[in-house]
Amino acid sequence: MRLFAAMLLPLAVPAILTLLIWALPGDPAEIICPPERCGGTAVLAARWNLNAGPWHFYQGWLMAALEGDFGRSWRVQQGELVSTLLKEAIPTSGALVGLTMIPILLGAAAGASGRLPERVDAALSSIGTIPAVIFSLFFSAIIEINYGAASFDAEATRIRMLMGVAVLCLADGALAGAVSGVRALFAAERNQRYVGIAILRGEPVLSNMLPNVAPALIGQLRARVLHLLSGMVVVEVVLRINGIGDLLWLGTLLQDFGVVLAAATAFAVFSAVLLGAQALTEVAVALHVRRAPAAGTLVRAAAGRSGQGAPGAAGSA
Amino acid sequence: MNRWGAAAISLLILAVLVLAGMGAPDHIEAGDPSRALLGPFSAPPFGTDERGRPLGVYVMQGASVILLPALASGLVVGLAAVAGGLLRCVGSGRLDGAVQWALELLGSLPRMVVVLVVALLLPSDARGLLPLGVCWALLSSPGAMDEAAAVAERLGGARFVEALRAHGFSWARIYLYHVVLLNLRPVVVRQACETMMQVCFLEIALSYLAIQEEQSSFTHSDSVHSWASLLQSGYRWLVIPEVMHTGHALGLGLLLLGMITLSMRLASVAARAR
Repeated sequence: MRLFAAMLLPLAVPAILTLLIWALPGDPAEIICPPERCGGTAVLAARWNLNAGPWHFYQGWLMAALEGDFGRSWRVQQGELVSTLLKEAIPTSGALVGLTMIPILLGAAAGASGRLPERVDAALSSIGTIPAVIFSLFFSAIIEINYGAASFDAEATRIRMLMGVAVLCLADGALAGAVSGVRALFAAERNQRYVGIAILRGEPVLSNMLPNVAPALIGQLRARVLHLLSGMVVVEVVLRINGIGDLLWLGTLLQDFGVVLAAATAFAVFSAVLLGAQALTEVAVALHVRRAPAAGTLVRAAAGRSGQGAPGAAGSA
Repeated sequence: MNRWGAAAISLLILAVLVLAGMGAPDHIEAGDPSRALLGPFSAPPFGTDERGRPLGVYVMQGASVILLPALASGLVVGLAAVAGGLLRCVGSGRLDGAVQWALELLGSLPRMVVVLVVALLLPSDARGLLPLGVCWALLSSPGAMDEAAAVAERLGGARFVEALRAHGFSWARIYLYHVVLLNLRPVVVRQACETMMQVCFLEIALSYLAIQEEQSSFTHSDSVHSWASLLQSGYRWLVIPEVMHTGHALGLGLLLLGMITLSMRLASVAARAR
């Protein structure tokens, strides 16, 4: 079901956007480009496939998108290919989110293993109450003060990126949530009876717990990445990082529907990949648990009787 | 801090913001340039901006922008959490499963992306923080419903309801008093408060980003100033402190954000289970 949802998402997002435009009162062409901003609405409607109903528009856009053609920007960079804008923006945003995930994963691992003391959670949580816009504002000021007119040269851009990582990591409780969430998950699992049995058998605890916590872990990870993607918009705009969040914001602000549709679809594709990864992990874990060797039957039965956890890992060790 | 103290402080802050919002003027009148950039001691209570206008008007207008949408968003999430908890207590596996999947799909997109798309599609006369806040709340609802359902599950779910029925309690008493008021209350209030806080921050973020690009905000009309204006004014002091003496505006903006955070956190503390 989750895999099905993952496959559906990239198709559903442009479809919903298209339906919304037609569902709103008024002419779609006028909604996308109000007459007070654009002249010659009828000509524009014909050029953008808006003159023959939602299906015509959606089908045309989707077919072109599958070939990598997202049309041209109407306002953000007038006449520029949207695919070119996406090609420039996606790697930057990918790097931003990827780099941010490093400290978050390290923090989560440290929390799970107990290397990060529990009292740190309160401090991280307090820092996490500060919204991304405030953090970004202060970091942006630091860049402007230190680099001035050279705020956009290579070194300043690198610093800006690192500051973006710091903001995404600390603001809105991203790191705090990752550390406390994973810590709580492992703490609850450690109390399960099969873990005690694994310890008595002299088996490593982590490899026993991992298959059981993997679905919840990947679920938390997905939520964390979605959280970062949401915060990324603010961080990219305030810190002037040319990523997809910045592109989406400019498209929204300047009412460039072509850019927004493409950027939202890119976000949907990324969300679908995460959803698919979660589904595949769950399938893999279920297969692993089912394929546990017969030697573990006794342990499985014991843990099964207590109704606590899936004991596949303990059995397989 | 005890629950009553936390509730009192939280309500006090909320009351101050409500009064400020209700007293907000529709337009900011032209100020006295000779009184520009005065600090809080020279022009009490908050000082003045670059045009000599009192910053108190910004506080009032900003409060009027966020109050109703934040309360409405909190209500939406609170009701969603109640529904999530009650659904688990009803014990209909099929319905519960269907809702879970619908919520999973709803929560599978980054919230800010959806909010921006909604902002783009809203007709210009319908623009404001309320639809965006409600949209944010709807996207936050899956998490709130999930947590409330987990609480109801720990409570015993349908078995808990059956046990109380065996005591002869009415449905209304079981669901509204025992399940919602006694057990779901902490989760419902915390989730509602968090969403209210997030909607306030969303407004400030969206307005700040719009100001930065010198465009109109999605959340309010051009005649109204949000608290983001204070931050934007204060930002210039951060960069060129010797020229722009607007540090008091930044301090005021941060103080207001702190008050919102404190009020919502204390409300969650007050609603905690005994």
